[in-house]
Amino acid sequence: MKNNHILLEGVDLYYSSVAFKERSLKSLLGGLFSVNRTKPEIHDVHALKNINLEIKAGERVGLLGHNGAGKSTFLKMLAGLYPISNGIRVVEGTVRSLFDLSLGFEPDASGRENILYRGLLLGLSPTFMREIEDEVVAFADLGEFIDYPIKTYSAGMQVRLAFAISTAVGGDVLLLDEVIGAGDANFMAKAKQRITNLIEQSEILILASHDFGALTSLCKRGLVFHHGELIFDGAIQDSVQYYKKVNGLE
Amino acid sequence: MADYLAGIWNARYFWIHLSLSDLRSRWRRSFFGILWTVIQPLGMTLLLALVFGRIFKTEITEYAPYILSGMVVWEFVTASAIGGSLSFVQADAYIKQCHHPLAIYTLRTVLTNLMVLILASLSLIGWVLIAMPQHFGWTWLAALSIYPIVALIAWPLATLLAYIATRFRDLPHALGLVFQAMWFVSPIYFEAKVFRGGDLHGLVDYNPIYHMLEILRAPLLRGEWPTAVNYAYCLGAIAILTSLAWIVGRQAEKKIIFYL
Repeated sequence: MKNNHILLEGVDLYYSSVAFKERSLKSLLGGLFSVNRTKPEIHDVHALKNINLEIKAGERVGLLGHNGAGKSTFLKMLAGLYPISNGIRVVEGTVRSLFDLSLGFEPDASGRENILYRGLLLGLSPTFMREIEDEVVAFADLGEFIDYPIKTYSAGMQVRLAFAISTAVGGDVLLLDEVIGAGDANFMAKAKQRITNLIEQSEILILASHDFGALTSLCKRGLVFHHGELIFDGAIQDSVQYYKKVNGLE
Repeated sequence: MADYLAGIWNARYFWIHLSLSDLRSRWRRSFFGILWTVIQPLGMTLLLALVFGRIFKTEITEYAPYILSGMVVWEFVTASAIGGSLSFVQADAYIKQCHHPLAIYTLRTVLTNLMVLILASLSLIGWVLIAMPQHFGWTWLAALSIYPIVALIAWPLATLLAYIATRFRDLPHALGLVFQAMWFVSPIYFEAKVFRGGDLHGLVDYNPIYHMLEILRAPLLRGEWPTAVNYAYCLGAIAILTSLAWIVGRQAEKKIIFYL
């Protein structure tokens, strides 16, 4: 029986400061011998603070918050990319996430080859990818360029291809981070339609966005983040109000 | 650990594909293409055998395959270790997007190098068949075991180094030096008897590199079976490296993404 849900209890997430301090053997060894110079102190970044949350199957959740509030970190934590420092994280169901779409292209390979690579990255089988290849090619609508190397593509074309591949397959838990906004007006209309289909197929949707229109039309529940803390959890309209109030927008 | 291996198995299409595309890009737009893999060590061997053959007064037809066998295997080990240490950095776009066991990225590097090794060793087999056909026999089956053995040594080694090199980005430079030193004190190009002649038995008898190469050399160059000691040293190296990679990985695996 499928019981897709997300459960978070007392989740903390720190970015360890070592990652942006000394990065070479040289500086590590150098540090042992050098006289103590006063350097600006760098602390671990406490990116998510004591998050308690349950999301059940069928819920549509919108994330609000200022830049750096922890929305993207929250999504990446759910996707299992970032390790949590404390607490319990349970995510049931296949997670499909759309974050940085144009990451992970092989510039020397053709668009068609990259469709295959991306599919395999997502853990799909080559046979399945061959089945959906034509559909992806048709959706990206790049004409003859689909057989050209990716490095000849314009930024917009890359985004279109990335979008077409990444949205070809859905999952139980769909995580979106500001992906709506790719390509020209013509493509935008198609893209919206496709996202909507994807959302309908998914059991759980979590969408991070600054677009209140998109949030209120797609989501029922809203979460407001502020400096890594979850400060509001409720209906999406109330969340938008609360977000505006906290950030002094009204 | 079973979960981790299952994750690697589930992502098999992905890393096999990455590895094949590495090979394709290696040979793309080169005139001889795949042949370079065979030509390069052969040419180098001819050159070295001519020089060293004079210095050590050895028969060139027998000394050349000795050098060649050392060269192709050593090339595999260094390429896997030094190239492998950069695997995570190189794959950062994938790591930041999708949650797969990190060891698939070092496996990709090792697999690519293994295929190069297999191709390069064809020139060795060709040479021995022509110059020393008397050694051909059942023992050659044992020589095949070199492939899984070196792969199982190189994979945990590359993974261990990759965990460290992601944190300390200048590790590959240091590794270059370390491997150069290891080359000098091991019977890779120099014959084992040269070390024994200088009363340096330890550098041969207790050297896993020597035992690893013997698995290839005993059958091909002397028509003998590799000894149990040879295999014991190799399996020991595999066990030690795998445990080290596992211990470091338990701490480092999840944190790597912060360092990319």
